[in-house]
Amino acid sequence: MLTLCGLGKDYGERAAVKALDLDVVRGEILGLLGPNGAGKTTTISMACGVVTPSRGTVAISGIDLAKQPYAAKAKLGLVPQDLAIFEELSAIQNLRYFGALYGLSGTKLAAHIAWALEVAGLSDRATEPVKRFSGGMKRRLNIAAGLVHKPELLVLDEPTVGVDPQSRNHIFETVKALHAAGMTVIYTSHYMEEVEALCDRVAIIDHGELKALGTTAELIDQHAGKGVELELGGNIDAGARAAEAHGTVKRDGHTLTVVPSAGLGAMLTAIEAAGATVARVESRQANLETAFLALTGRALRDE
Amino acid sequence: MIGAAILKDVQLLLRDRGRLLSLFALPVIFIVVFGSMFKFGTDKGSPRPIAMYAEPGDARGAAIAKGLGEGFVADPRPSADDVRHAVATGDRLAGLVVPAVGPVELVIDLAGPVQVRGPVQGALTAAVMRALAPPIPMPLLVEAKSPPGIAKPLDDISPFQVTVPGNAVLFGFFLSMTVAMTFASERRSGTWRRLLAAPVPRWKALVGTLVPYFVIGCVQLAFLFGLGALGFGMQVAGSVLGLVLLSLAVVLCAVCLGLLFASVGGTEKQIGSTAPVVLLVMGLLGGCMFPRIAMPAFMKSLGHIVPHSWALDGYYDVLVRQGTTLADVAPSIGALCGFAALFALLGLWRFRFE
Repeated sequence: MLTLCGLGKDYGERAAVKALDLDVVRGEILGLLGPNGAGKTTTISMACGVVTPSRGTVAISGIDLAKQPYAAKAKLGLVPQDLAIFEELSAIQNLRYFGALYGLSGTKLAAHIAWALEVAGLSDRATEPVKRFSGGMKRRLNIAAGLVHKPELLVLDEPTVGVDPQSRNHIFETVKALHAAGMTVIYTSHYMEEVEALCDRVAIIDHGELKALGTTAELIDQHAGKGVELELGGNIDAGARAAEAHGTVKRDGHTLTVVPSAGLGAMLTAIEAAGATVARVESRQANLETAFLALTGRALRDE
Repeated sequence: MIGAAILKDVQLLLRDRGRLLSLFALPVIFIVVFGSMFKFGTDKGSPRPIAMYAEPGDARGAAIAKGLGEGFVADPRPSADDVRHAVATGDRLAGLVVPAVGPVELVIDLAGPVQVRGPVQGALTAAVMRALAPPIPMPLLVEAKSPPGIAKPLDDISPFQVTVPGNAVLFGFFLSMTVAMTFASERRSGTWRRLLAAPVPRWKALVGTLVPYFVIGCVQLAFLFGLGALGFGMQVAGSVLGLVLLSLAVVLCAVCLGLLFASVGGTEKQIGSTAPVVLLVMGLLGGCMFPRIAMPAFMKSLGHIVPHSWALDGYYDVLVRQGTTLADVAPSIGALCGFAALFALLGLWRFRFE
């Protein structure tokens, strides 16, 4: 459905995305994970034709984005991270404008708008100015604006940022329903549990490179098997620094979640040699977060 | 797509009281205030009183009082000092003290602005000379006439003939700030990103953002000139087609200037703090707030570096000079189109879509 081939973007001397290869299969939900600044948004922007790549190609449904940009873009719907809607206008006026950008008009546009409002659960608020909406409702309209032309591929960039649990559930259910109807979805999120629950496959990006790609089970199996939680006493700072020399470490107060690069014994020896004491050692249940930590060395919500 | 963009931007404008105020209400307020403050052409108001003292029964005093002309009326005072006091305190603009013998004293604040003092001083000096000089039959020596190629003005020039176009141009160009703000706001909110992701050519995305403001600018000028004609008695002395094309050129120029602001302006906050200053200076240089004809020669020439002056020159011709044709205002229209092309080229050169 979407093929990125050697895709890269440079800003001056810095390569925001190096040379990324990625195939999104028709009908799947692909989760895109990466710490802030990893290159997720740049990758999405290039895939959607918002940013011109420095190298590589993008094909949407087999159509080369550089050669036939309008045909390729017509198959894609983007839901940006920001609330990319006009708050002074009503939901229906917003959708009328965004639908017209895809060449929709007349009764076809009206039917698409009605469908998008229904999907977003906003049919009864269609004529109200958006500025009166709650944060969650605005998020849902943001999704509806990306959906109004019924794209084959929907790209959702952090769709649940700052929404209440009720709206988050609604967005979840919407994505699942669209997926069930055959739509291909790319979903980026800061919430690991969302990606774990929703996505068929997950791509982890860091430093502008694809670090891993697979199902959640595959990623956990390949990268998260060695997660251990340590509770430290004594000189915790020095202990944490010593641990970092022997693997990837996420610190939360006096607790370290570690993935040792060699053996756990060497790490524990180094921690104690640094003046810290190990009060508790607990094998952590492997999950996507530990896999992510092992691959990037950073927690997802770290800056 | 462009139709949808026009509809969207008009809907947004109608919900934005601040922008409506600056585009439609503020110019009307300025037109009314400036129109009430200034007089152009024949002054049909009351004659201005001139404080005057002459010895009782003095023939010279009586002759001068009688010969002051239609613009002035004598305001007799009990003493010479009272005349001087009335002028010194600003109670009267000028005064005349007529002694029994010797020259008449013209009492006037010599430090007053020459634009105000000069005509009064000249008119009173002439009135005194006419009253006191012996009548000599003479042929007509001086007759004021416009040179060939310059049409005769309307007989009755209303102040609104000048304040309507002045403020229409000043506030018409404020449209450029609105254009730039729209680009900045769409970039900030992400709707620009959405537009770039849509199957719309980039030139069309750009034109689709500019065209609605061209339409809004035309509505703004039509409203201001319509109000001037219907509400304030403004007349069109020359070609109506000339007035329309000139107005279209003004709006085009303002929209292209908006593109230039958008390409260099950055965020809404940056545009909001710099564009009004630039636009006010341009308006000032161009004669929107103070007639260029009354400016020193250097400032008068400097005015030609801004489109406002060309627009106002054209408007003055077409509104005030009888029989002005489209060809007469063509240089102004050409200059405005030239400025528009320059602004558009610079704007496109600097504009970043991504």
